Amino acid sequence: MSEEPLLKVENLKTQFFTEDGTVRAVDGISFEVYEGELVGLVGESGAGKSVAALSVMRLIDSPGVIVDGEVTFKGKTLVGYEETTGEPGEPPELVEREEMLTEEEMRTQIRGREIAIIFQDPMESLNPVFTVGSQLREFIELNRDLSGTEARAEAVQMLREVGIPEPEKRYEQYPHQFSGGMRQRVLIAMALACEPSLIIADEPTTALDVTVEGQILDLVEELQRKYDTAFVWVTHDMGVVAEICDRVNVMYLGEVIEQANVEELFYDTKHPYTEALLASMPRPDRTTGELNPIRGVMPEAINPPSGCRFHSRCPDAREVCRRVHPDLRAIENGDHDGDENGRVHRAACVKHDAFDVGYPESEPLENEATGGFEVGLTQEGSR
Amino acid sequence: MSGTDEPLLRVEGLTKHFSNDEGLFGGFKRNPDGMVPPVVHEPELVRAVEDVSFDIRKGETLGLVGESGCGKSTLARNILQLIKPTDGTVYFKGEDITAMGGESLRKKRREMQLIFQDPQSSLDPRMKVGQIVEEPMEAHGMLDDEGREVRAKELLAKVGLDPQHYNRYPHAFSGGQRQRVNLARALSVNPDFIVCDEPVSALDVSIQAQVLNTMKELQEEFDLTYLFIAHDLSVIRHISDRVAVMYLGQLVELADKEELYENPQHPYTRALLDSIPVPDPRSSGVRGVLEGDVPSPIDPPSGCRFRTRCPELIAPEEYDLSATEWEETRAFMRAIDRRTVETNDPEELRRRFFGQVPSGEAGTVVETALDHLEREEWEEAADLLVAEFAEKSICAREVPAYEITPEYGSDTHYAACHLHRDEGIRLDPKTGERADGVRTADSGTEASESASAVSDD
Ligand SMILES: Nc1ncnc2c1ncn2[C@@H]1O[C@H](COP(=O)(O)OP(=O)(O)O)[C@@H](O)[C@H]1O
Ligand code: SF4
Ligand code: SF4
Ligand SMILES: [Mg+2]
Repeated sequence: MSEEPLLKVENLKTQFFTEDGTVRAVDGISFEVYEGELVGLVGESGAGKSVAALSVMRLIDSPGVIVDGEVTFKGKTLVGYEETTGEPGEPPELVEREEMLTEEEMRTQIRGREIAIIFQDPMESLNPVFTVGSQLREFIELNRDLSGTEARAEAVQMLREVGIPEPEKRYEQYPHQFSGGMRQRVLIAMALACEPSLIIADEPTTALDVTVEGQILDLVEELQRKYDTAFVWVTHDMGVVAEICDRVNVMYLGEVIEQANVEELFYDTKHPYTEALLASMPRPDRTTGELNPIRGVMPEAINPPSGCRFHSRCPDAREVCRRVHPDLRAIENGDHDGDENGRVHRAACVKHDAFDVGYPESEPLENEATGGFEVGLTQEGSR
Repeated sequence: MSGTDEPLLRVEGLTKHFSNDEGLFGGFKRNPDGMVPPVVHEPELVRAVEDVSFDIRKGETLGLVGESGCGKSTLARNILQLIKPTDGTVYFKGEDITAMGGESLRKKRREMQLIFQDPQSSLDPRMKVGQIVEEPMEAHGMLDDEGREVRAKELLAKVGLDPQHYNRYPHAFSGGQRQRVNLARALSVNPDFIVCDEPVSALDVSIQAQVLNTMKELQEEFDLTYLFIAHDLSVIRHISDRVAVMYLGQLVELADKEELYENPQHPYTRALLDSIPVPDPRSSGVRGVLEGDVPSPIDPPSGCRFRTRCPELIAPEEYDLSATEWEETRAFMRAIDRRTVETNDPEELRRRFFGQVPSGEAGTVVETALDHLEREEWEEAADLLVAEFAEKSICAREVPAYEITPEYGSDTHYAACHLHRDEGIRLDPKTGERADGVRTADSGTEASESASAVSDD
């Protein structure tokens, strides 16, 4: 229980300062990743998953700014500011704390070595004009103390390890000669090359066919067992979450609204959004009658709703939800507080006793879900 | 809400081959001056769709599922005559539309509409939503200006949009709303049949659910028949009455939805179903993993196109192998063919792949291959193993097509797999017909009469 997390994210905020206004893409999220754990970051498009993943690596470019919060990894401060000040709508004056790693340190100590990242589109990370082998070899040479020949042998071995047939021949080929699944394997090989303790994977199987996705998920589980690497797995697919994750963070409109181990997330769901998400999915394993979609669409992160951000679509919404902004809190779970690892189930919803803000007495709220508006569809905003 | 038994659409032996000088690679190799190229090369044929036969009944939804590039979209466009099939026939309401051209085909098209995956690019950004919905009506001379506007607004409401959006441009809409505009547009000409090509694939799950519900409602209200194409097996299970599974240009299985998901009989279907991540952490964690990649449609495997990856490839009859011996031999052959092993040491390979190397003729082949490997002749070893084992299998020699007895429901169950050669009824792989002339996946003799009235060209 006293085990220190490998990665700790606290109150992280990343905003984009655009002509139209400030986009609060990630708005105060907190989560931990323990050693060897596979942690899911799940939500629909626009929820802030990718920005969160990139923020941890400090890979946010202008007009985006990490404006607040703390990210620590193995005792090192990746993000950490002194008190921040600034005008709303303007990027704040940021004073980095002394212990916050410099850009140079991020590059030489963290990225690729300690934390690797894998994207949905492998072509983003591979250079089309060099052979796959030479890129892998160069990466290994650069990051590990190996000679050219040793690095080459290591690269071939890595290709074999991630299940690429005829690795010697494939070593000489260019990225476009690889299928989508094979390219993703190359990236996994590259991510593993420095034996990092954490890999952040941003929808790595979303663009792949289901049988290829199955192959990749299998590979990841096998490698994880072998190297005990921790993962942050970004996805919109609850099926993938159920299959591979140990713990899950559900995101909605820039916030983590539920955090639980995978079993409790599915079988003891605490947040109405998670519940709605699960109810709107057709199932591969049984025939569903009518689907129960969430009404409307996710509002814009430029101007999020007051109070609970889900109140405009929540079937359980009451008057108080419009006023009170729920933080992510531990929800008591019968007689135990926390699972076998002592990790608690958290949710950001005032209907739970942990909040005690007068939900039971509050009047039901008319919204898209409770029928206050005509079936919601016409309320879909533009994106 | 399964449809009646009368087929609205019948597809028979549909085949589409692309050659290098058409379609995707158009103009690539053709000489614009019409000069004869110095070297005459065999044109490479992309066998995108091959001998596909099935019926769709009035009022039903036939789901068509398969991985990207397997030919689903090509098949759909062939059915609608948007591209001309290389071979085969499509009957719509009993009429052969492959033989139609010009005006009569144009008229028929009104009754058959298409909806694409990408609602973004299929809507002209310069046109207002109203115009977009009215365009097909105008093209088919339906109603006058005023009538069209009234109908367009009605349809917008029907698909769950605000009729006041009539004057907006598509960019002001979300992905789900754009797909609704597409639906309204398709419905405007009052079609009977809509081909939906991955209509919800680009949408988030909650929006996807909204659109799927609307599509079901519209089907009931307007008595629509859908051919619903998707790669997502959960969506297909939800929306379909019957489901067809496609692999490398061919149908491998077709059955009632419940039957297909609960009693799949083709190894590829089983592999697909086993690969889907199930949104339930308590579901048993077995993930069926398929080896290798899909082969090229330019030179597809003979016999069963799935055989190069099939976990159940049947042993050639000429070798007398036990189940275990065959399993080991098959695994060895594939590992050498794909070169997934790093050693060429016969002793090590024997130990890794075989409890005991089979005796007899099969054993001789294995030993000869091991000799090749010892001399680092990987290719020779692979060629020998493939020729002696894979290519002598019935799976390589005959195209499979069987009708089998369903466990769920009473619809016919089509499975293109020789594992059913004993209990299944053998069908003509080209037409899907039984030897006695009765078609599988189909209803009556009436239709097969019209089928036999058409001659091959
Ligand atoms: N116009 C064309 N010219 C050549 N090949 C094509 C053409 N259209 C499709 N193909 C090929 O046909 C096969 C099937 O493609 P497609 O119908 O698009 O499959 P799906 O819809 O399942 O993705 C693919 O190998 C594809 O590359
Ligand atoms: S706080 Fe209120 S609106 Fe938000 S999820 Fe809970 S019940 Fe729904
Ligand atoms: S015919 Fe043979 S190769 Fe094809 S699916 Fe059946 S067992 Fe497998
Ligand atoms: Mg397609």
